[in-house]
Amino acid sequence: MKFAHLYQESLQKDGFPPDWVASAISYRQLKKCIKRVETELSSMGLDADTLNLLLKSVEEQHTKHDAQVDEEEDEKPFRYQFRSQDLNNENGDKEQGTSNGARFLPKLLFAVDEETGEPLDASLTPETKREFHVLALSQQLTDVRILDITDDPARRSSFVGSFDSATSDMSDAEKRPHRRHSRPVRMVEVPLTSDSEFFGMLQDQLSGLAKLQAEQNVKMESEVKELGQLVTKVTDPSQGKKKNDLAQWRKIFELYLESRVFFSTNEQDHGAHDSEKAEKNLRRFSEELENQKLLTKFKKPESKEALDRFISLNLEILQNLRFQDINRLAMAKILKKFDKRTALGVKKTFPSTIHTSPLTTSVAKAICYQLSTELLPIVPALDDYLCPVCFSISYKPIRLLCNHIFCIRCLVIMQRARENHCPLCRGEVVMQADSRNLDQDLIEYMKKWFPKEVRSKQHENERAAARDEFGENYDKCVLM
Amino acid sequence: MALPKRIIKETERLMAEPVPGISAVPHEDNLRYFDVKIHGPSQSPYEGGVFKLELFLPDDYPMTPPKIRFLTKIYHPNIDKLGRICLDVLKSNWSPALQIRTILLSIQALLGAPNPDDPLANDVAQDWKTDEKAAIQTARDWTSKYAAPE
Ligand SMILES: [Zn+2]
Ligand SMILES: [Zn+2]
Repeated sequence: MKFAHLYQESLQKDGFPPDWVASAISYRQLKKCIKRVETELSSMGLDADTLNLLLKSVEEQHTKHDAQVDEEEDEKPFRYQFRSQDLNNENGDKEQGTSNGARFLPKLLFAVDEETGEPLDASLTPETKREFHVLALSQQLTDVRILDITDDPARRSSFVGSFDSATSDMSDAEKRPHRRHSRPVRMVEVPLTSDSEFFGMLQDQLSGLAKLQAEQNVKMESEVKELGQLVTKVTDPSQGKKKNDLAQWRKIFELYLESRVFFSTNEQDHGAHDSEKAEKNLRRFSEELENQKLLTKFKKPESKEALDRFISLNLEILQNLRFQDINRLAMAKILKKFDKRTALGVKKTFPSTIHTSPLTTSVAKAICYQLSTELLPIVPALDDYLCPVCFSISYKPIRLLCNHIFCIRCLVIMQRARENHCPLCRGEVVMQADSRNLDQDLIEYMKKWFPKEVRSKQHENERAAARDEFGENYDKCVLM
Repeated sequence: MALPKRIIKETERLMAEPVPGISAVPHEDNLRYFDVKIHGPSQSPYEGGVFKLELFLPDDYPMTPPKIRFLTKIYHPNIDKLGRICLDVLKSNWSPALQIRTILLSIQALLGAPNPDDPLANDVAQDWKTDEKAAIQTARDWTSKYAAPE
């Protein structure tokens, strides 16, 4: 299927809001415009075939002569370049935002002989050459004489070869009709209108996209903030354990982090995911929520609402990612098409500053960052409070002289083994620790935020202590 | 005795987020006993080889280090004929905050950087010092002979 069709279809069917669709890169419109550029160029004898031929013959000359390949722009028979034009210049106000500030205008330049104003390219038709010649004259090359441009085909075809300024042997040069060698070259602008229309349109659409992104960013930012307030409310441990959903939300956020919906921290595949993978991860996260029946375990009705909002926020991020992906693709395709139809090589020369911003700056990334720094930390994660030796909550916490924290049970074991070195920094601080090393503030904090984990660890510690005192059979007695 | 939480968690993580080039799978009937495979690091004489090891977690793990041994024959100055490994973190420098994954990474690194000045296999270390080129070639030969991937 044609890309234009696929593109239109996914814009319509992927559930993007109407104002997004209206702001998307308009592939069809741009394609039509390319046709106009094509027609205009053809009318001047500069169709893609002619230009490609021109480029090819110059390249061949380079390889044939094996001269130091001189990549200077002057070597090219024509140049298509972009010139920035600051629209705000008129007001003398340069500090305006870039969205509508600097614009880039395309310009097609052809090489002509500086003295005669004659085009250097043989494969152009006589009409085109004559036209260029006139252009050159009107563009201030007033002292040149208009020569009779010969229609002698032998002469015409040899022009291409002689364009290369690297000198070849004499006999070859003699055969050529004269004067190209090391003659100064001047670039003459060929006026086109349809290409300005094309790039104007494209830049309008890109700045529209940038604006939409900025709006989305603001909107989602405030959504994260509101959600944060809600989560703070439903997880507040000071309401008593029967009246909050702290454990449920901890589980939800743990699952969310494990799903690595948008970004991966995994050693094997890291970095940002594309939208397809993110969608899959998000679906897996939702399924896992179902499996663990977390929705039925809420004590607070607002928790359900908060979870719905959390999911839809993630879907929103996903849609942003998809929308950006699809626009980036459309942009790449339309520039490719432009080049195919005109041979002007814009894929390389179109200023990347314009299209990189709305097509690569990631709103998704910014919002994900906000999620991980503002929303998720509302519920302290157990991983941040584990004892590095037994991997369960480090309760009761002993803070060694080196500031490393271990659970009291592991400290007892280390001391009994006469192991004086801190497991993390090898500082000789273990044997000197006693009950004064208990971190009282941390004890209170853990009791408040991890009541369940603290209770079960306390139970374990007591059993282990009793086992130390009464021997291995202690467990069995309890079970009977 | 029930398996300590620490061992359960380490095993889970080894399965969920394996280290590239390393696998460690516990025996079903003894969860303290692991079959380990380490891929020889690239740019080393062990490149292309897959080395089998056995790893056992003693009762007082992590207060004492895991016991590890190469099962695949390997020509290396710090690994002896019985597959025993000379590595400080497995002995005096062990810390209960180290884990199975960190130890296996250290062993993989040891394959990438043989240290004949701190030998276990004395004759190999001697070869290594007198003619390093030949020793590396022998290590390569042994790798293709004994450590070919199945
Ligand atoms: Zn501990
Ligand atoms: Zn320490």
